[in-house]
Amino acid sequence: MENNEHLERFFEQMKNQDEQLEIPTFPSVHTRKFGFWIPAGIAASMGLAFLFLQEPTTVEITSPEVVIITLQEDENQNQHFTIEETTFLDTWESPTSSLLTEY
Amino acid sequence: MNHNQLDHILKANHRDAYLWARQCCSFDDEMAKDVLQQSYLKILEGQAKLKDVSKAKTWLFSIIRYTAIDSLRIAGKVVSLSDSYDPIEIHEEVDTTDYEGIIKHLPEMQREVILMVFYHQMTIAQSAEILQIGLGTARTHYDRGKKKLKELITKVQIQEEYGK
Repeated sequence: MENNEHLERFFEQMKNQDEQLEIPTFPSVHTRKFGFWIPAGIAASMGLAFLFLQEPTTVEITSPEVVIITLQEDENQNQHFTIEETTFLDTWESPTSSLLTEY
Repeated sequence: MNHNQLDHILKANHRDAYLWARQCCSFDDEMAKDVLQQSYLKILEGQAKLKDVSKAKTWLFSIIRYTAIDSLRIAGKVVSLSDSYDPIEIHEEVDTTDYEGIIKHLPEMQREVILMVFYHQMTIAQSAEILQIGLGTARTHYDRGKKKLKELITKVQIQEEYGK
């Protein structure tokens, strides 16, 4: 059996002395690795930027410029008004043209 | 091994790790703090991987030791890994209670093996693992370190008793 008493006593005293040492608090280590949220955030920001930077396209709202009111007669000789809204006319007949022909 | 498990291992060994870092940095407190921080970063970033949980302490000590060697090299304090077996003369006045001062007179490898065995209660085999040397070589450092340290302690005691 080795006789290490002398050394053991030496190290015991050294340890006692080290009890006075101030041990630093466990550091909060921030790793440099990219987490999930960083790339996700970048992707979301890029998506939003893409949406906002797009030029607004002007949506043409076609307002009816012509209203065609026709009086039609069905098979029972009943008259009905039909109202159509359109932006153009294929043919146009003056509402007073009958006066010219039937005069 | 996930981040939380590693965090738990590091916290459990924090005090010993700091003391070992200090011993590897020639008892320089500031350098030891920096070395410890760098070692933790290496571990948590996955640069150093723990394969066997039962060897967590030897693994941690090994990382700290190599990080300290790098830091000492950067600081210009060249660390010689080849050991000198020449007897060491103590020229300056060393107090018997200046344990760090006495230990510093041991050659690097002998000092590390002796500290691991006597201070950190490790086996010679564990010390060999940390130093990444063969068991036989570690035993040689242990025997020579022990012999030299006994001589140093006796010398300091004589110096203190009878003066230079």
